[in-house]
Amino acid sequence: MSEVSVRALTIEYQTSAGWLPAVADAWLDLRPGEITGLVGESGSGKSTLALALLNAVPAPGRIAAGTVELAGVGDVTRLTGKQLRKVRGGALGYVFQASQNSLNPLKTIGRQLLDLGRSHEVADLRALIARAKDLADRMGLDGDRVLDSYQHQLSGGMRQRVGIVFALVLNAKVLILDEPTTALDMLSQASVLDIVRKVHDENQLSTLIITHDIGAVSEIADRLAVMYGGRIVEDGPLLDVLRRPSHPYTKALIGATARITGDVDAARALPGRPPDLTTVARVGCVFRDRCGFAVETCATVEPVLAASEDGRRRACHVEPSTVLSGASGTPAAVGEPA
Amino acid sequence: MAVTTATLGASPRARRPALLAFRTAVLRKPGRVVGLAIIVLFALMAVAGPWFYGRLEIDPDAVYAPPSAKHWLGTDFAGSDVLQEIIVGARYVLGTAALAALITAVLGTGIGLVAGYRRGFTDSVLMRITDFILTIPAFPLLIVLSTVWDFSSPWLMGLVLGGTGWGGMARAVRSQALSLRERGFLEAARGLGLSTRHIIVKELLPNIAPYVAMHLLLSTIAFVTAEVGLFFLGVVPFSTTNWGVMLNQAVFSGGALESPDALFYLLAPLSCIVLLTLGIVLFLDAVDELFNPRLRERA
Amino acid sequence: MTGFGRRLAGKLAMGLVMVWAVATFTFFLVRALPGNPGDVQYENYILMGMSPGQAQARVNAVYGFTSHEPLPRQYGGYLWQLAQGNLGQSTSYSGVPVAHIIGSALPWTVIPVLSGLIVSFLIGVAAGVVAAVKRSSRWGGLLSLSGSVVAGVPTFVVALLLLLVFHTEWHLLPFGGTSDYEAGWNAPYVGSVIEHAVLPVCTYALLSYGGWLLAMKSSVISVLGDDFILAAELRGITPVTRARYIGRNAILPLFTVLALSFGLMFGGSIFIENTFDYPGLGSLLLKAIGTRDYTLMSGAFLLITVAVIAANILADLCYTLIDPRVRR
Repeated sequence: MSEVSVRALTIEYQTSAGWLPAVADAWLDLRPGEITGLVGESGSGKSTLALALLNAVPAPGRIAAGTVELAGVGDVTRLTGKQLRKVRGGALGYVFQASQNSLNPLKTIGRQLLDLGRSHEVADLRALIARAKDLADRMGLDGDRVLDSYQHQLSGGMRQRVGIVFALVLNAKVLILDEPTTALDMLSQASVLDIVRKVHDENQLSTLIITHDIGAVSEIADRLAVMYGGRIVEDGPLLDVLRRPSHPYTKALIGATARITGDVDAARALPGRPPDLTTVARVGCVFRDRCGFAVETCATVEPVLAASEDGRRRACHVEPSTVLSGASGTPAAVGEPA
Repeated sequence: MAVTTATLGASPRARRPALLAFRTAVLRKPGRVVGLAIIVLFALMAVAGPWFYGRLEIDPDAVYAPPSAKHWLGTDFAGSDVLQEIIVGARYVLGTAALAALITAVLGTGIGLVAGYRRGFTDSVLMRITDFILTIPAFPLLIVLSTVWDFSSPWLMGLVLGGTGWGGMARAVRSQALSLRERGFLEAARGLGLSTRHIIVKELLPNIAPYVAMHLLLSTIAFVTAEVGLFFLGVVPFSTTNWGVMLNQAVFSGGALESPDALFYLLAPLSCIVLLTLGIVLFLDAVDELFNPRLRERA
Repeated sequence: MTGFGRRLAGKLAMGLVMVWAVATFTFFLVRALPGNPGDVQYENYILMGMSPGQAQARVNAVYGFTSHEPLPRQYGGYLWQLAQGNLGQSTSYSGVPVAHIIGSALPWTVIPVLSGLIVSFLIGVAAGVVAAVKRSSRWGGLLSLSGSVVAGVPTFVVALLLLLVFHTEWHLLPFGGTSDYEAGWNAPYVGSVIEHAVLPVCTYALLSYGGWLLAMKSSVISVLGDDFILAAELRGITPVTRARYIGRNAILPLFTVLALSFGLMFGGSIFIENTFDYPGLGSLLLKAIGTRDYTLMSGAFLLITVAVIAANILADLCYTLIDPRVRR
């Protein structure tokens, strides 16, 4: 039973060349107790997808088709006004990318929490503050001190954690983190990932982590979804996808990731560039230009995201076994216990 | 791998698209073309105007005459042609403003760049001086100075205006330099061993040029206002083709506020000022949009 | 000492330095004037039959120094007099202490300037917000344009136009002086004061309205692009809260503009008071120049500058109080 079900979601942006899709026909499920990692390069549409979950696609974009079903609420894409505001923060917690400036620089954290509480018509504000302090303490922060601080008095890692506090303080059941580790150094990255896992487990959340760093997310994710050119190309349990990638792009991504042990030259970069909104292919498979397994149909027919094995989905014309045994990069596992 | 000392900021090849973008921005809204046209018109007036006229004719029979075929804008208190006075007077007004703008640009940009790039002690000292210049109320200073110096020459006036008016430019340039400093390409240049002079001139300067241009256009309006105001108050020697003096005469001697006779004499220089302001403002809109991408709306 | 206290002390020190610099400048200015007035007066007094000692004392009383003393001594004496609040005596209002004249003129500049500033700030800021929010629409664009044009039109033009329309044409408001009645705390007097003040205040307001509009518009646009606004929206804050976040953050940089606009206002007082025949510091300065009353002139100039410096310090302190990033 999914907490969040994304079905056939298409998001378009208006450009000088007309309305172009940034995300096309996306299917995704976020289940309670599961951490899903959404991996893709820049321009793949993952951040846009995340914003769509809160019906917050910025102008000049719009949700052109599809639904985002939230358990107990309905289709988020149909909500507006007060209902939408309640869902944002109340049911869906979003932790902003680069939490460097996601807080009002002129107000203390505590006051902003109170603003948040009042906006959501929370009856007991004191309990809200207590919960915030509790969350903060559990993440290794000094709750009292943090609540009295201003944003500029906190370090990057601290701000990231405060962002998580804001996302969960209203007891949201879904946590969405957009690039939580990008702006941080390696040590902070590790500790943030630990905290996310811990908080997720404690509250039995449905968590979505959006990132380009497949290595980082593999530390804590339960499922992996891979995005390319606005499409979800592969989706399945983490270890299955990593050990037996069934889409050429996933395989190439894993192959391109350098490892801390072993030969660094084993990592092979993918030739070509990831497409953006305006350069993505409009006919056929979006990946075919860089795909080592491309066949005739790839140029004319777009592959549909379909179930391949139990609990796995892929969008590709080529057989999984061919992809798996093929030569592009060694399918070594990432995140495999040493 | 060989490293060439090419500029890392804006390369010359990248500047031509900038000119193209400039043209697009200007042509986008008709108001901007109008603005540019007005500015060009006045510039022409200032440069070429006096060549078309000889001496000012005096015609005691046609004092404060209304507009006619002979005198398109009527005549003044001595029967001289108002249009002629306007066109000839443009030279002083715009010449002073141009000189003042030049001084402001050089001083303000120079000081702002050095302060913003160097930071630390140099920055503090330069900013203190700038603050001082900014705090002194310019106009009272000008009229006090007018008792000591003779402002009938546009050069002296321009010099004083420029010398007292560079503060705002310096501040603006400095804050731009500070934010550009964050951008990293300066550190890259440093890392490559490029000299400070090269960095300031070849890297920073092209990037702040748009702000300087905008600020310049705005301060031109202020300079024109200041000098016309100075003459309007009557604190400086008399000269009939000076817009400010014309205003002064119109209001205080011609009684333009009371009777309709001298009205054109009053309105002519007045409209010139307003027109020039309008022209600069309209044109500035284009410059603003060009360099502030957030203002660009999707068509 | 608290951070705030330290900053205050620093600003005051800077202010004092500036005042000193201006005083020094004025000192040398008066001495640089064609036909050293001090000397001229001295000669006059001698011709009138006074002894050198008497003449010198007289000139000293008027100007604060005489050229017959060594320069450092003159300068020292000048500064000493200044510190005691003695600005010399006026030559046009013979014998009357300059400080006294300035004192009675000061409120008639400060009060209209402040009133005009408040009015233009309130209206300009509000208009700026609208101009920013509606910047894609025609009205928004027109509003911005109105701000730019008004900002560009010279003060005296505005003053003249207002006078032309409201006094000459429509006979709505009076002109000249501060009031038609005898001074005193009675209704007719106060009413008349207000009547006479309307046009000058409006002119002051129009002076800086454009600046506020443009500054606020640019600031709001900048804040709208900031991450934390989007982040707050994604957390589900009410539109009212969002507006408050934007407003507070956008107004902050305007305080630096506040400092600059004081200088503009006081500069404008010269025109405005001249046009409306209003007896404030500006018209005092102008009259002093006209009559070559150098002590009055330098006194008025000094005071105008001191007022601007003081206002700047205040504005800067307000900024420190409001922005927590600057407090330490």
